[in-house]
Amino acid sequence: MDETGTSVAFRGGGFAPKSRRWVGVVVFVALVLFVEWGTRAGWISSLSLPRPSDVFETFRQLYDSGLLFKHLGPSLSRLTVGAILGASVGISVGILIGLFSYVRSGLVPLVAAIFPIPKIALLPLFVIWFGIGEGSKYALIAFGTFTPTVVATYGAVDNVDRTLIRMGQSFGLSWWSIVRKIVLPGAMPGILSGLRISLAIAIILLVAAEMLGAEYGIGAYILEAGSLYDLERLFAGVVILSLLGVLVSGVIGMAERRLLGWRT
Amino acid sequence: MTLINRRKALALMGGTVAASGLAAPALAANKKIKVGALRFTSHSGNFVGFERGYFADAGLDVEFEFFQAAQPMAVAIASGDVDYAVTAVSGGLINLAEKGAIKVIGGALSEEAGIDGQKYLISDASYQAGIKTLKDLDGKKYAITQAGSSFHYMGSKMAAAEGIELSFTPLQKVGAIIGAMKSGQVDGWSIVPHIAKPLASAGAWHMIANVSDYIPDYQVTTVFTSAKNAADERGMTESFLNGFSKGVDDYAAAMIDGTADQDEMVDLIHKYVYTDRERAKAAPSIINGTMRINKGAALNIASIKDQLSWFQSEGLVDAGISIDQLVDTSYVDIIGA
Amino acid sequence: MLAPLISCKRSMMDIRLDGIGHSYDDFEVMRDISLDISSGQIVCIVGPSGCGKSTLLRFIGGLERPKLGRVLQLGEPPAGCLNPLTYIFQDFALLPWRSVSGNISLVLEDHGIKGAAADKIIEDVLARTKLSDFAKALPKQLSGGMKQRVAIARALAVKPAVMLMDEPLSALDSQTRELLMDDLVELWTRQPFTAVYVTHNLAEAVRLGHRVVVLSRRPGKIREVVDIDKPLAAREFGDADLEKTQKYLWQLMRDEARAADAELLHG
Repeated sequence: MDETGTSVAFRGGGFAPKSRRWVGVVVFVALVLFVEWGTRAGWISSLSLPRPSDVFETFRQLYDSGLLFKHLGPSLSRLTVGAILGASVGISVGILIGLFSYVRSGLVPLVAAIFPIPKIALLPLFVIWFGIGEGSKYALIAFGTFTPTVVATYGAVDNVDRTLIRMGQSFGLSWWSIVRKIVLPGAMPGILSGLRISLAIAIILLVAAEMLGAEYGIGAYILEAGSLYDLERLFAGVVILSLLGVLVSGVIGMAERRLLGWRT
Repeated sequence: MTLINRRKALALMGGTVAASGLAAPALAANKKIKVGALRFTSHSGNFVGFERGYFADAGLDVEFEFFQAAQPMAVAIASGDVDYAVTAVSGGLINLAEKGAIKVIGGALSEEAGIDGQKYLISDASYQAGIKTLKDLDGKKYAITQAGSSFHYMGSKMAAAEGIELSFTPLQKVGAIIGAMKSGQVDGWSIVPHIAKPLASAGAWHMIANVSDYIPDYQVTTVFTSAKNAADERGMTESFLNGFSKGVDDYAAAMIDGTADQDEMVDLIHKYVYTDRERAKAAPSIINGTMRINKGAALNIASIKDQLSWFQSEGLVDAGISIDQLVDTSYVDIIGA
Repeated sequence: MLAPLISCKRSMMDIRLDGIGHSYDDFEVMRDISLDISSGQIVCIVGPSGCGKSTLLRFIGGLERPKLGRVLQLGEPPAGCLNPLTYIFQDFALLPWRSVSGNISLVLEDHGIKGAAADKIIEDVLARTKLSDFAKALPKQLSGGMKQRVAIARALAVKPAVMLMDEPLSALDSQTRELLMDDLVELWTRQPFTAVYVTHNLAEAVRLGHRVVVLSRRPGKIREVVDIDKPLAAREFGDADLEKTQKYLWQLMRDEARAADAELLHG
């Protein structure tokens, strides 16, 4: 054998991104510092972007004055009631679509038809139906979370391993037992990832819901800041929504770890 | 991010042209400008100035940019996409002025005794439920488009005068407010007469009082432009105000003072306002909508000061903003000082 | 042909396939299959791919209906039998979100067996499949062989009259397969059970089957039934007489297997 052979060039590796948590933080901090520098030095005009330290100051004032919770309280209750309503009805309908041919044939086209409707467009209608108070706000958020939840849920039910269902039948399990012990847990991963999207949509719709007749609320606060062209308040409000989004995503992540520990 | 926008880019290109020896006189050339407008009769000064060639006489080639609401128009001026526009003083306008983006340079619509002005309204449902006077609106829902809008100002001034508290209900759009008033979801509002009157006769609401009773000499709308135009484009700005004022004079002569042909004026305005209705139906609304637009774009500075201090007291704008940051008084007659 | 009912023993359950035929639309997949499966025997069904082995098993278990013929239970299932016809699947069909004992209790819960009574059964079947130490483990923590032993334990828990095994060892590597065959033989030796065992692996068939039924290519018909008299416990890996039987079976099947392999897949 030739002793002086060349070693084989390595050409594998890559294409396997790993999570490096700190990089995200560094990028975020660098971006904020960059904007701070730009606004201080003056080559970012105060009309283009607010100074990050001013946004933070606005946020601090909001907190100190107690207004933060005056805005956050109604928004959280709208979000909670609306999202719970929309998601629970959505999951139930999604499961029915996943299980029954007639429900599927009847409702899938309907859901497909209402999915692309911008729910904001229906707000005036909701005001007539549910009043200008909390009812129309709950309805808007519930309606917005309903459709993506339905689609995610029946997709998840469709994806439940059929051999597991056959297994249940072969052991003589009742229909209800199969739904409860095989279909539901089997669909849970899809339902939870659907909820991730639905709840993000709920937060988006919060701003829309507070367009009509809301004196307090994060959405109302943002809209007011927008109409006043008050960029510091606008960004403070947007930061609150972002944090809310991160929080919701974290809660779903926790639920996934608790409920879906069995996944390989 | 230096704000290099289209206009600046154009200016740069213009600069190279100028450098090549083609320096043009400021007024004589057909200078292209963009004027923001809403399809309201209160913008008639612009429409008349354009249709009757007053802008062209002043050396300006005006192109209208139409908006659905006043707020985006203010932002468009700040970004340099639009040069001049007419709108109410709002919190957004003041904040943009604070950032050095825009300046108020003249006055437009005013409340004037003897000419029908804006009305305070109570919805029919509330009226039937026993809310008969403005004082009865205490604790009730009062419709506004947004916090810091002129509706907010009018409601707040009235509430202060009556010694009552109002629950201000933001509904974003005038259309949404009309719907909410009709269905009794809100209790009170104020609006221009040509919207107030027809629906009052239709029984949707009741006209209770005139806004001018509570806010005398109210400078409802103003002429404004970018701070840069106000400071650096004096010739162009004066030309615009010149054309605008001539348009206003014609409008007043025909619609208020009766010294010119009203029908012809209605025809002209109908080209821009209520274009979706036939003339016979549009005419009453146009005539009902007649309000005083200040001669020579004179500006009532006392009213502007009052509005500024109200916005400041509500915490909607920074307390440190001075009237000089908001208004450039060098262009037009200043009244009420 | 009507079998006299007297032939079946009390509290023993036999299965009789009576003229089973099946087709999808105009496409005949099975023709006139008649077969007796007597209790205490393991009957292996082999055949080239696409001969309908697994479909036949689903007919026996009542998961599908044949177009022609009947599947008959002869006699009564033994006392305490919860699910007379019980499957063992090729891919184990364990619920991934339930532990080993949870997967077994799943099939007891619907029969109202809970708490201590269930624990006793679970303990017993786990001991018989040598899984006692893994009661709390989740399926993802188990190897393929262990998963199939859990599935066998689950099947044993309902005290089946007949076990319907659908290629139970096909998803496993060859060493694991050998180990599991030993386990099955040991289980049967300790307490004989009835089973229909579908496989394409002839080594499994000669190792586990009292009878081996060879099916022909589509439409599936019984080609031959081969009885193997040697007791299960006496059979071993590489037995010369078993090799001979296996070779004989392969000769029966070889041409058909080749033809089946060359055939285009039917949608």
